[in-house]
Amino acid sequence: MLKFLNKIGDYAKETLQSARYIGQGLSVTFDHMQRRPITVQYPYEKLIPSERFRGRIHFEFDKCISCEVCVRVCPINLPVVDWEFNKELKKKQLRHYSIDFGVCIFCANCVEYCPTNCLSVTEEYELSTYDRHELNFDNVAMGRLPYKVTDDPMVTPIREFAYLPAGTLSGHDLPASAQRAGDRPEDVAKTLKTSSPEQSED
Amino acid sequence: MNSGIDLQQSVIEILSNLGLPPGVAKLVWLPLPMVLMLVTAVLGVFTGVWLERKISAAAQQRIGPEYIGPLGILAPAADGLKLLFKEDITPGNADAVLFTIGPALVVIPVFLSYLVVPFGQNMLISDLSIGVFLWIALSSIAPIGLLMSGYASNNKYSLLGGLRAAAQSISYEIPLALAVLAVVMMSNSLSTIDIVNQQSGYGILGWNVWRQPVGLLLFWIAALAECERLPFDLPEAEEEIVAGYQTEYSGMKFALFYIGSYVNLVLSALFVAILYFGGWGFPVPLEQVASLLGVSETNAVFQVVMAAIGIVTTLLKAYFFIFLAILLRWTVPRVRIDQLLDLGWKFLLPVGLANLLLTAGLKLTFPFAFGG
Repeated sequence: MLKFLNKIGDYAKETLQSARYIGQGLSVTFDHMQRRPITVQYPYEKLIPSERFRGRIHFEFDKCISCEVCVRVCPINLPVVDWEFNKELKKKQLRHYSIDFGVCIFCANCVEYCPTNCLSVTEEYELSTYDRHELNFDNVAMGRLPYKVTDDPMVTPIREFAYLPAGTLSGHDLPASAQRAGDRPEDVAKTLKTSSPEQSED
Repeated sequence: MNSGIDLQQSVIEILSNLGLPPGVAKLVWLPLPMVLMLVTAVLGVFTGVWLERKISAAAQQRIGPEYIGPLGILAPAADGLKLLFKEDITPGNADAVLFTIGPALVVIPVFLSYLVVPFGQNMLISDLSIGVFLWIALSSIAPIGLLMSGYASNNKYSLLGGLRAAAQSISYEIPLALAVLAVVMMSNSLSTIDIVNQQSGYGILGWNVWRQPVGLLLFWIAALAECERLPFDLPEAEEEIVAGYQTEYSGMKFALFYIGSYVNLVLSALFVAILYFGGWGFPVPLEQVASLLGVSETNAVFQVVMAAIGIVTTLLKAYFFIFLAILLRWTVPRVRIDQLLDLGWKFLLPVGLANLLLTAGLKLTFPFAFGG
């Protein structure tokens, strides 16, 4: 009999415990209701891409020496380099250059290895089209610069989490003066130039 | 106890004063409350769906519907419209008749249960002497519809889903009935009006929550399981690919299930308000306050105000419990089928029996407090 009562007591204790856990869970859910939504209401609001963002690749036609390094480092040999050997100049002459961004995985290896820096990554990510062949960008299309989110009057730019001041969790309703900890990349670049001008010329 | 406004009598009187014979006047009156109740139930569903979306969004730090009407209140209407225009498919080898009757059999009893939901002394369609029992009896028709639609779909997943839904509904009906029985025992009546009246008089102190806290928990858990809401939504299980007995349904037949589940939720919340939270009773006993202030109970303005307050308090209490259900939905994980049946048979049933016994004992010992 005592054993049975003990069992009932244990069972009741367990039940109370689980009820308390459910109560704690409910309070957590309830607490979340008072927090500001983290929703970024695209296309009225857009996140500012970080400076490491690897978006659509930009190409400068005149800098290219048709070395095809980009093709060799590409995981699937994607860039199409159409060149012709100019016998008078004894130089390769570039005729067309294209990358199909419907196939590209945006690893930016080509940018990394380009010897003349004619390739670079942009922050453009809005690449939707009605026909996948439209994503095959030629050198003219790749030479265009994207419109910056911060310059667009139709869009409220919102900073990403890593660019918020310490202790802030949401990029909404933040004054522009509230900066993240540490130097901004522009400032870092400035100090590099003043400290070693010879190096930067190399 | 003053009976408050009697709409039926006043409408019939007005009509007979206009020259209609009393029989015709009654005939004109008859469909009015039913239509009103149907509209109320549908509006309740709309509000419920909208609240579900908004509160879910808030609990997940999202915004939820925003541009479909002000604050997205037209989102449920948009859902309904979409389902209305969708093709109504009957699978090739399904039993077309049973496949069509199934959803209707799930929805109609739920709507019928609104017959006994009171919003005031005379604010209900019919004050049946079997009130709550009618609701319990009607809610046990739903499993037949679920099983029917699952079986008629001619799909093994639908059949399994239907069986699960039926098993769940049947096993949770018993604790639900036991919880209701304890309340009924205290008020000596099955009529919803009597149950509310027995709680009135002392404001918030007279409500059944204080006498039936265990019963309330039992009732609410069992009601959630009856409505197939999280954490007991495993017959349908939204996140999973196969939607149980609803798998083969589309268009308006699916919409019937959808509406049915929300009407059922609103209904259960209303019944919690009626059985445990004093129905239309205000937390402060307004009648006594009025008589203290010297306002006559037969005063027309007072009666209208009281009726309005009654409706609003009933709805507020009900929607508080809908809010709780939505909050629970995003807090508690879904239980497994064996855990579900375990909870129903091994926990709720014995606790319900013990609660009933305890209530009976208390009723004999303290007849003044427990309705002797």
